[in-house]
Amino acid sequence: MKPLRLWPQRLVGQVTLVLMLAVALEFIGSSILFENSRIYPNRDNQIRRAAEQLVTAEALLDVSPPDIRPSHAEEMSSHGVSLHWSALPPLINHDRATEQQMRERFQDAEPTLRGRDLRFNADIDRSLPRDTHLKVALKLRDGTWVTLKTKIRAASWAVLLSSAGSAFILGLGVIAAAALVLRNLSRPLRALAEAADKIGQGQGAQVRIAESGAGDLKLVAKAFNAMQDRIAGLLKTRTEALAAVSHDLRTPLARLRLRAGFVQDTAAREALENDVDEMAAMLNSLLAYLGGQEDPEPPRRIDLAALAMTIVDDAADAERPATFAGLEHVPVMARHLSLKRAINNLVENALHYGGNAALTLSREDRTIVLAVEDNGPGIPDDQLAQVLQPFHRLDDARARNTAGLGLGLTIVQQILQREGGSLVLKNRAQGGLRVELRLPAL
Amino acid sequence: MATAPVAPVVLIVEDDPALRTLLMRLLREEGFQPLSAAHGAEMARMLETNAVDLILLDIMLPGSNGFDLCRSIRRESDVPIVMLSARDDETDRLIGLELGADDYIGKPFSKKELIARIRAILRRTQNGVQTAQPRGHQQMTFAGWTLDPGRRELLSPDGAFVDLSGAEFDLLLAFLSSPQRVIGRERLLEMSRARFSDASDRSIDVLVSRLRRKLAVTGQAEALLRTVRGVGYIFTAAVERR
Repeated sequence: MKPLRLWPQRLVGQVTLVLMLAVALEFIGSSILFENSRIYPNRDNQIRRAAEQLVTAEALLDVSPPDIRPSHAEEMSSHGVSLHWSALPPLINHDRATEQQMRERFQDAEPTLRGRDLRFNADIDRSLPRDTHLKVALKLRDGTWVTLKTKIRAASWAVLLSSAGSAFILGLGVIAAAALVLRNLSRPLRALAEAADKIGQGQGAQVRIAESGAGDLKLVAKAFNAMQDRIAGLLKTRTEALAAVSHDLRTPLARLRLRAGFVQDTAAREALENDVDEMAAMLNSLLAYLGGQEDPEPPRRIDLAALAMTIVDDAADAERPATFAGLEHVPVMARHLSLKRAINNLVENALHYGGNAALTLSREDRTIVLAVEDNGPGIPDDQLAQVLQPFHRLDDARARNTAGLGLGLTIVQQILQREGGSLVLKNRAQGGLRVELRLPAL
Repeated sequence: MATAPVAPVVLIVEDDPALRTLLMRLLREEGFQPLSAAHGAEMARMLETNAVDLILLDIMLPGSNGFDLCRSIRRESDVPIVMLSARDDETDRLIGLELGADDYIGKPFSKKELIARIRAILRRTQNGVQTAQPRGHQQMTFAGWTLDPGRRELLSPDGAFVDLSGAEFDLLLAFLSSPQRVIGRERLLEMSRARFSDASDRSIDVLVSRLRRKLAVTGQAEALLRTVRGVGYIFTAAVERR
């Protein structure tokens, strides 16, 4: 049973829901504010009440003897509304738009005021909240005047407050919504960006991303992972094809080599055999590079010193200047053949480019260091990192007479990484290159 | 031609016709009597009707592979087998040697290399040196060390694999087959030549000193391989076979 899902699965749904929530919140907030604003009477009510008061005062004052009229008027004054009686007209009628509007409103509220001598003076307070200071004078039947002074509160502050408030609430709601959506959006997106950045940088390992977040993003993650699977599949197919071709090339190469044996011309035969050797070496290094990832050989305890000695002795037997010094028995955990290939590559490089290979085996704390040094020209400092790249070759004169594909150091690095070690290249102060093969000590 | 000693019969089992023809021609020129088979079934027929001195066996064959054929041959005969492989893979080499193959050559090989290996193996089997080297997995132990002739592995007392060159291994094997007896330089040279035709230049003394250095783990090395002045060497430790 699937639990009831209130949270939409798709991004569009999520955004819509969140926006709807924001709007609802805004609506509720505004309603509450408006409800509050009703506590204060609105403009029309205030005017109606003032008109009413004026009419009542007139009716009362009309029947009062003139000597008590001022005190009567005084008594009828209430909070916010003051009434006065005077024999002479207390104000000059202004006839601006505000006053005309007021007159209409007064006459609407109290139709008995129509046709009476009414004088208005309405001053709008320039400062907020823009109240109107209203003076209304009404001529009584005996020609005396009653004047009403009041302040009509502008409802504008409430309007202002409520609109500001609703804007504020809407803003809050939208910000909250945006935060929610972005939180949901950005996490998987950032993971996706990081993963995409990592692809192809490691040792061909795949970068999996969690299939989480909104439905659409989940789809993106799924598609991303599937894409990686396909890329890996393609690469694997290509690699296998390349490896198969490399294997298959060995048989015609074997024929070529045997045929070379029948060539009478000694120089031509040797040249042919050298070419075949070079091609075979290229195939070997290519296969080592391609097959480096899935070497079936298990790591075991190996005497690194004996391994280095065998390689140096082999070179010495071929009358090549290779020497070995240092520790005479150093066990390490490694794959024997890979490690042998790595040391071989380093010694071959040193002999080829540097003219000699001096191996030194030492221990630095928890690390075993097999250094291969030569007295050659070294490698320009800015190229030290590049020579580890596959198929990279130093593009000066030395490279041109070099057999191989430029995979030697790449293979060594691959091998060492798999054994938990590292490869360090340095130019020696006294000239020549120092290559350190570093492995964890047992 | 008729006066020549009986030419050794070499059976070539190889699926690539061109390579088969080349090998036939090459072996004939070198004084062998070559036969050929393209696959396992043909090989079996050949073995029934001919007395074969050596088999050149390709690992990659259609149908049953070279390893299976090697195993089935070993069940019935001790005829020397040299495996040919397009894979320059040490694992293949080890499997081949464990299954009882006598040697293993990776393609592409040169004519010289092939002929030298074939001659060395024929010389070894015909001289009977082989009898001194037990076939199979009989391990030997001495002073904490373990030597496995089948896998061609030497393990130090602390269990570390100690890499030996082919000549060093054969020399050590020769010492182990006659422990606690003085072996002359001539005899040692002869033994290592039986396997490695190119060992002639290599001085036995150099090999012994290299072996001593690799056995120098526990500081007993000088005692393990003692020089007998003017005669040769003696391997001093007792050897146990398992």
